[in-house]
Amino acid sequence: MFFHIVLERNMQLHPRYFGRNLRDNLVSKLMKDVEGTCSGRHGFVVAVTGIENIGKGLIRDGTGFVTFPVKYQCVVFRPFKGEILEAVVTMVNKMGFFAEAGPVQIFVSNHLIPDDMEFQSGDMPNYTTSDGSVKIQKDSEVRLKIIGTRVDATEIFCIGTIKDDFLGVINDPATA
Amino acid sequence: MSEKGGKGSSLLSKGSLKGKDDSATKSSKGRRVQFSKEAGPFESGITSAGSPASGGKGEFSRGGKGDKVANGKAKTPSDPGVDQKLPENVKCIMDCEAADILQGIQEQMVMLSRDSTIKIPISFDKGMHYATSNSKYSDPESVRRVLQPLKGHGFSDNEICMIANLCPETADEVFALVPSVKDKESTSQILKDSLHQLAKLKQF
Repeated sequence: MFFHIVLERNMQLHPRYFGRNLRDNLVSKLMKDVEGTCSGRHGFVVAVTGIENIGKGLIRDGTGFVTFPVKYQCVVFRPFKGEILEAVVTMVNKMGFFAEAGPVQIFVSNHLIPDDMEFQSGDMPNYTTSDGSVKIQKDSEVRLKIIGTRVDATEIFCIGTIKDDFLGVINDPATA
Repeated sequence: MSEKGGKGSSLLSKGSLKGKDDSATKSSKGRRVQFSKEAGPFESGITSAGSPASGGKGEFSRGGKGDKVANGKAKTPSDPGVDQKLPENVKCIMDCEAADILQGIQEQMVMLSRDSTIKIPISFDKGMHYATSNSKYSDPESVRRVLQPLKGHGFSDNEICMIANLCPETADEVFALVPSVKDKESTSQILKDSLHQLAKLKQF
C-alpha cells in the first residue's frame, strides 16, 4: 500500500556545491540518494514529493563538508502482513508462483494455493483447476494476501496466499 | 550518512526494528529468514534467531494446514489489525491518489532524465505502473467523499484506503478481506450504500 510520509535525513554537501544554487544542489542530491531505496521501516521510497524544511548546516570538523538536516515528504510503498494486494504473476513453477505488485516481489507457495488447482508443466507452466475453468499463468492478475515479509538491503520480499475467501485470479491473459 | 527518522519514523521504529535487523545480519549461521506472525504494518518481519515468538517454521506449517484458515473459522488471536502501530503523521493514500501524485512527478522525471548522470529509479517506474494499472477511479476526491461516512462509524484511514483499492462488491467481501472491520458488522448497511456508490465511480 502507498503511504505519504515525512522523513528526515542528514545530507552532506561538498563545498563545491555552495553558492546560490545550494538549495537546488541539496535537493538533487537528496533525490539521488533516497529515491529507489528500500528500508524495513518505510518500504520503498518511490518518489520525493516535496521539501518541508532544510535546517542550518553544520561544518564537520576536519573536513569542509557541511551537514544539513533535511525534512522531506515522499511517497513510499510498504506491504504489510494481512494486506490484500492485486499482483501480476511473473513466474510459475511446481513450488508455487512469483508475482509482482509494484516494486515488491511476492511468492505464493503451492501449499497456499487451493487444493483443487494443480501444476501443469509445459511451454506455459500454470496452475489449473480440475475443470480447467481457472488458470494461473504468467501475466495473470491475482488477488492475494500477504502473510509474511522479509526485508533485504535493497528490496522487500513477501509470502502470500490465495487460499482464503475472495482471493485468486482476477484476470487471465488467455481469456482477455 | 545516517538517516534520521522524523516524528513518524521514530514512532515507526518502536525501538525494536534496529535490534531485529542487526541480529538477522549478525547471525553466525548467516541470514536466517523468518516470517514474523505478529508483524504490524510497519514492522520488518525479520525476527531474531533466538526469539521465542518467531514463527518461522510455524508460519509455514500453518500455511500448509491452510484448511483451517481457508474456512475462515479459525481466528488467530495474534492477527493484527490493518492499521496497527501506524504513527500519526503517516498518511495512507489510495492507489488512484498515488497514481495522480506520481504522474505529476513523472513529467519532472522526464526532464531530469535528459541529464545522463541522473537515473530514474526502477522502483518509481514499477510503483507508477502499479498505481496507474490498479487505479480504478478517475477522481480520488469523489472516492474520498463517498467513503467519508464510514469514518464517522469507526473505520480508520487505512481500512478506508484498503476498501477503495479493492473495490469490493459486497459487505461480506469487505469483512472477509479486511479482518479489522469484522467487529463493525453493525455498519453493514452504510457499508453497502458506500460500496454501491463506489461501484458507480469505478472506471472500466
